[in-house]
Amino acid sequence: MSDTTQFRVLDFDCPACASTVERALTNVDGVQHVDVHYATGRVEIEYDDSVAEPGAFAQTIENQGYTPQPA
Amino acid sequence: MKKQSFTQYYRKHRTAIVTATSGLLYGGGWSLGYLTGFEMASAAILVLATVVGGYDIAKTAYHEVTNRTLGIKTLVTLAAIGAIVIGEYWEAAAVVFLFSLGSYLEGRTMRKTRTALQELLEMTPDTATVRRDVELQEVPAREVEDGEIVVVKPGEKIPVDGDVVDGQSAVNQAPVTGESAPVHKADGDEVYAGTVNQEGALEVRTTGAGSDTTLERIIRRVEEAQEAQSPTESLIDRFAKYYTPAVIVLAIGAYAVTQNAILSLTLLVIGCPGALVIGPPVSIVSAIGNAARSGVLMKGGEHLERAGKIDLVAFDKTGTLTKGETTVADIEGFGIADDEVLALAATAEKKSEHHLADAIVDAARERPTAATDGGAAVAQADDTDAGRQSIPDPDDFDVVAGKGVIAHTDGTEVVVGNRALLDDRDINVPSRIADYVRKREERGETVVHVIRDGDIIGAIALRDEVREAAPSVVAALQDAGIETVMLTGDNERTAAAVAEEVGINEYRAELLPENKQTVIEAYQADGHVVAMVGDGINDAPSLATADVGIAMGAAGTDTAIETADMALMADDLDRIPYAVKLSKATRWNVLENVGLAVLTVTVLLAGVLTSYVTLALGMLVHEASVLAVILNGMRLLRH
Repeated sequence: MSDTTQFRVLDFDCPACASTVERALTNVDGVQHVDVHYATGRVEIEYDDSVAEPGAFAQTIENQGYTPQPA
Repeated sequence: MKKQSFTQYYRKHRTAIVTATSGLLYGGGWSLGYLTGFEMASAAILVLATVVGGYDIAKTAYHEVTNRTLGIKTLVTLAAIGAIVIGEYWEAAAVVFLFSLGSYLEGRTMRKTRTALQELLEMTPDTATVRRDVELQEVPAREVEDGEIVVVKPGEKIPVDGDVVDGQSAVNQAPVTGESAPVHKADGDEVYAGTVNQEGALEVRTTGAGSDTTLERIIRRVEEAQEAQSPTESLIDRFAKYYTPAVIVLAIGAYAVTQNAILSLTLLVIGCPGALVIGPPVSIVSAIGNAARSGVLMKGGEHLERAGKIDLVAFDKTGTLTKGETTVADIEGFGIADDEVLALAATAEKKSEHHLADAIVDAARERPTAATDGGAAVAQADDTDAGRQSIPDPDDFDVVAGKGVIAHTDGTEVVVGNRALLDDRDINVPSRIADYVRKREERGETVVHVIRDGDIIGAIALRDEVREAAPSVVAALQDAGIETVMLTGDNERTAAAVAEEVGINEYRAELLPENKQTVIEAYQADGHVVAMVGDGINDAPSLATADVGIAMGAAGTDTAIETADMALMADDLDRIPYAVKLSKATRWNVLENVGLAVLTVTVLLAGVLTSYVTLALGMLVHEASVLAVILNGMRLLRH
C-alpha cells in the first residue's frame, strides 16, 4: 500500500541542494514520488510501505548533509 | 552526561563551529604568511583550514556527483582542490571559509522565512478541556471528537473549531483573520482554533479538531501557495538549465586558451546562478507569509506577480463597500396602510433568498401588529419567537433575476420589484410614487415597488450602510494611482449616491450578475489589469474573470478560498490597499533581486576575464550577492 510522510528541512542553503535531496530520496527502495520544496523546506515522500523502510528517509536526508525534522 | 550534551550542542551548531574554526585557522595561516621563515607553517595551517571547512562541502559534493546533479558545492570543492594543487593555499582556504560563512548565514536567514508560518501553528493549544459524562477532562486537542463540548476559560486559547453553545465573550481572532479588534461571540457563533478567548467562559461544540481546523487548512494552503512557482521563477529555472552548462563550457574554453586553471575555476564559482535562483522564491515566500499573518491568503506567486500590476479595482457594492446588512428604512403605502404593504411584500418574498427579501421578511416579523389575519393562525416552526409575527407562505412564487419576485397569495397576484420589472409588465407609475422613489434613491437607498393585481400599492425603501472603512480604502487606492469602480445591480440613482459617499470615481449600475463579468472583460480589453472585490459566493464568476479575484470574509467559507486568487479572511476592507501595496512591493522586490543577481554576475565575469577578480574575491562577492537578495526578499516579511 502507498503511504506518505513529510519532513521539514530548515537548512537548505540553495535550490540545487533541495534537488540533490530529492534525487537521493527517489533512489531509496520503495519510494514512488518525492517533492522537495526549497522555499518552504518541506519534503514530501510517497512510498510503498511493503518495500520501503521509513526510517531510511531521515538517514538519507542526513547523509546529504541536511537536518530533517518531523513535520 | 556532560559529553552527551556537548555532542548534542556540536550537532546542533555544527555549521557554525566548523565555519568559525575554519575562519580562525584561515586568519592564523594568513597572518603567519607575512612573517619570513614561517611560509611552510602558514601553508600547512591554510591547508588545514581548507580541510576543516571543506569536509562537509566535499561530502555533499560527493552526493551531488553520485546523484548526477551539478551544484555549487561540487564547483567549490573542485576550486579548492585545484587551488591547493597549484599551490594557492590562501585562495583555497579563503574560498572554503567564505562559502561556509555565506551558506551558514543564508541557512540561518532562510530558516526564519521557513518558520514564519510555523509560529501561527504554535498558537493552537495542545490540550482541550472536554465535558465528558458531566465531568471535565483534559485531553489532547487532536483527540477531541466532532460534537464534543469543549470548555474554554477566559484568557485561554481556543483549541478546536466549533460553534458557541453557551456563554459569551470577546475573542481575538488575529491568528486566523488578521483582525486586531476582538470579535463578540455568543450562542451559535463560530469560533476558530488558535484564537484567544479574552473575557468570558465559552462552551463550544466541536466541528473540527487536529488537522481539520480552519487555521491548519489556511496554513496548508499558504504552503502550497509558497511552493507554487511564479512565472519569473519558471523562467529563471528554464534559463538556469542552459546557463550552468554554458558557464562550464566557458570555463573549459578559458582554460584551453589561457592555460590558467585558477581563472577557469573562478569562472565556475562565480558562474553559479546563486542569487538569481534564490532571489524570487525568497521574495514570494516572505510576501505570502506576511500576508497570511495579516489575514490575507494569496494563492501563489503567479497571482502575487499579477496583483503587482493591478491598476483598477472593481468593488461589488453590496456586502463589500456596504455592510451587507440591509434593513427597511421606510415604507410608504399608497392608499393603504404601510404595515399592509410590508406584510404583503413579506409574503411574496418569504421563499426568496435575496438579501433585500431577507430584510423585508425580518422587518415584517418585527412589526408589533400584523395586517394579515389569515396567516397568523398558521404557526411556523421558525416563527415561534414571542412577540414576532408569523408570515404566511405564498401559494406560488417566481424569481425574475435581478428584477424582483412574482407571487400569488389568497387569490391575488403580488409583485415586488424594481423599475425594470414594472416596465416589463407595463405598469404605470403615478408621479407621486416616482417622486418618493427618487427622493429615497438620492439618499443611497434601494426602493422596491409593491404591486397588487396590477396596481402599485406602495414602496419599500431599503438601506445598507456603507462600511466605515470604505471611503479611506478608496482614497488609499486612488493615492496609489489605482482606479476604482463600483459595480452594482442597483439603480443608477442609488449607485450614484453610494459612489459619492465612498468617493469612488466611476460606477456601473443596474448590472445583472453576468453583466458584471462583461464589464470586467471590457476594462481588460482597454488594457487594465483588473482586481475584483466581492463576497466570493455570489460574485464567483466575476472574481474568476478578473485578473485578480479578491474574496472578502472568507474565514469558514472554503468555496471563497478555492475560487479567489486572494482571500481576505476577515470582512475587513482595510486589507485591500495593504494587499495591493504588498503585491506591488513584491513585484519590485523580485525585479530588484533579479537585477542585482544579473549585475553581480556580469561585473564578476568581466572582472575575471580581465584578471581583476581572483578566486577568493569572486567567492566573496558571489556569497555577498546571495545574502543581499535573501535579506532584500525578507524585507517583505515586515512590509
